[in-house]
Amino acid sequence: MKKKDFLIAAAVLLLAGILALVFRFAGGDPGGSVQVKVDGRVAGTYALVEEQRVPFDTKYGHNTLVIEGGKAHIEDADCPDHYCEQQGEISKTGETLVCLPHKLVAEVITGEASDVDVVAK
Amino acid sequence: MNSWKKYIALLLALVMVCAMALAGCAGKKSGSENTASDEEPYSRDIFAMDTYMTVSAYGDSGEKAVDAAVKEIQRLDALLSTGKESSEVSELNGNNGGKLSADTNALMAAALDLYESTDHVFDITIYPVMKLWGFTDQNYKVPSDGDLKAALKLVDASTLDYDKEKKSVAFTVGGTQIDFGGIAKGYTSASVAKLYRDLGVTSGLVNLGGNVQAVGFKPDGTEWRIGIQDPVDAESMLGVVSIHDAAVITSGGYERNFEEDGVMYHHIIDPSTGYPADSGLISVSIVSEDGTLADGLSTSLFIMGREKAAEYWRAHKKDFDFVLCEKDGTLVVSDGLRDRFSPIDENAKVEYVS
Repeated sequence: MKKKDFLIAAAVLLLAGILALVFRFAGGDPGGSVQVKVDGRVAGTYALVEEQRVPFDTKYGHNTLVIEGGKAHIEDADCPDHYCEQQGEISKTGETLVCLPHKLVAEVITGEASDVDVVAK
Repeated sequence: MNSWKKYIALLLALVMVCAMALAGCAGKKSGSENTASDEEPYSRDIFAMDTYMTVSAYGDSGEKAVDAAVKEIQRLDALLSTGKESSEVSELNGNNGGKLSADTNALMAAALDLYESTDHVFDITIYPVMKLWGFTDQNYKVPSDGDLKAALKLVDASTLDYDKEKKSVAFTVGGTQIDFGGIAKGYTSASVAKLYRDLGVTSGLVNLGGNVQAVGFKPDGTEWRIGIQDPVDAESMLGVVSIHDAAVITSGGYERNFEEDGVMYHHIIDPSTGYPADSGLISVSIVSEDGTLADGLSTSLFIMGREKAAEYWRAHKKDFDFVLCEKDGTLVVSDGLRDRFSPIDENAKVEYVS
């Protein structure tokens, strides 16, 4: 009987461990998202976990925000300089993609913590 | 009966475990949110001076400070923009000089000091050449030799008849045009930093399109960690500098450029040739308490190249420090940053200059 009690206690502890892990992963990481602003106004917020292509057609022009593999970048912009397409992919909090001619900014608002406060460029 | 009791015990234990796990999670979450809101800065972002800017400030006067910062930036943009006909700079260019306001007087003094100290590498009369290349309005083109020669004749800040006391300047050569673009953002970030301090902000960050100026320390009392952009890879950094109360300003050919007939032309024009500087450096970062100086020196040292840049630093080492990136990726760091700079790539070749 004592052995059985011990087994039950062990099972409870094991379950507790598993549950703790499950909760930790389910609740600990809310997942990153990217907020897009045009001319200072929020145009939308998009989860980084969701693969998506979001077109933005404003009075300034066209840009497509592409989210793939947990990171965001800009494609098919019709701005004259195309710098926004050359800024690579963003996923860390505070990282931005900026299309100056179209006054469009995509910023990671909740994401992987960044190692730096800001980047001088 | 005994086993029934046991099931109850087991169930109770499970409920407790679940409750604890949930409470633990929730506690952690709200805890981190609380810390975040305590340390959340007031921030505002605006488009000005042809770039995207973010100003943020912590503490009780944070909101007031960022609102004042945005107004200050807009005021200086209206004053200094060469693209706006009504700006003070456009009026000076249209009238071959004239009276200077307090800000343009300070900028003119700083610009001419830099002109002297950099042995004419920093020259605000480069504007006609920048226009020819289309760097002022994004109509990029390689100018003809004839046009370039003619424009280069106008590039000579020694022809500016400047009187600091009387706050006036006269262009003694017709057709001369000036642009404070090489120091305007640094001057603006320095003005915002001053405004922050006047309003009692002890922790804040000014980011004018990658020109960074930090006020005080971070709210937790540690130094700000400022990344330095990798000029080759938009997604990575060369390294991190830890600073407080300082500007970190980077210049590189990657910032603005265009390609014509397979050749890349960037926007940092050497006033001695009229062509994009080709000094062996691909980026220059300056760390200085003086934002205006940091801005002016980032382009000047880029044009000078490694040897002259190091020589210049030795003569002015109390005023600033630098991180240079050479074409082969070698990082050249001035001695003042020895304990403040850490490269991202552990295998990067880092050479210290003293």
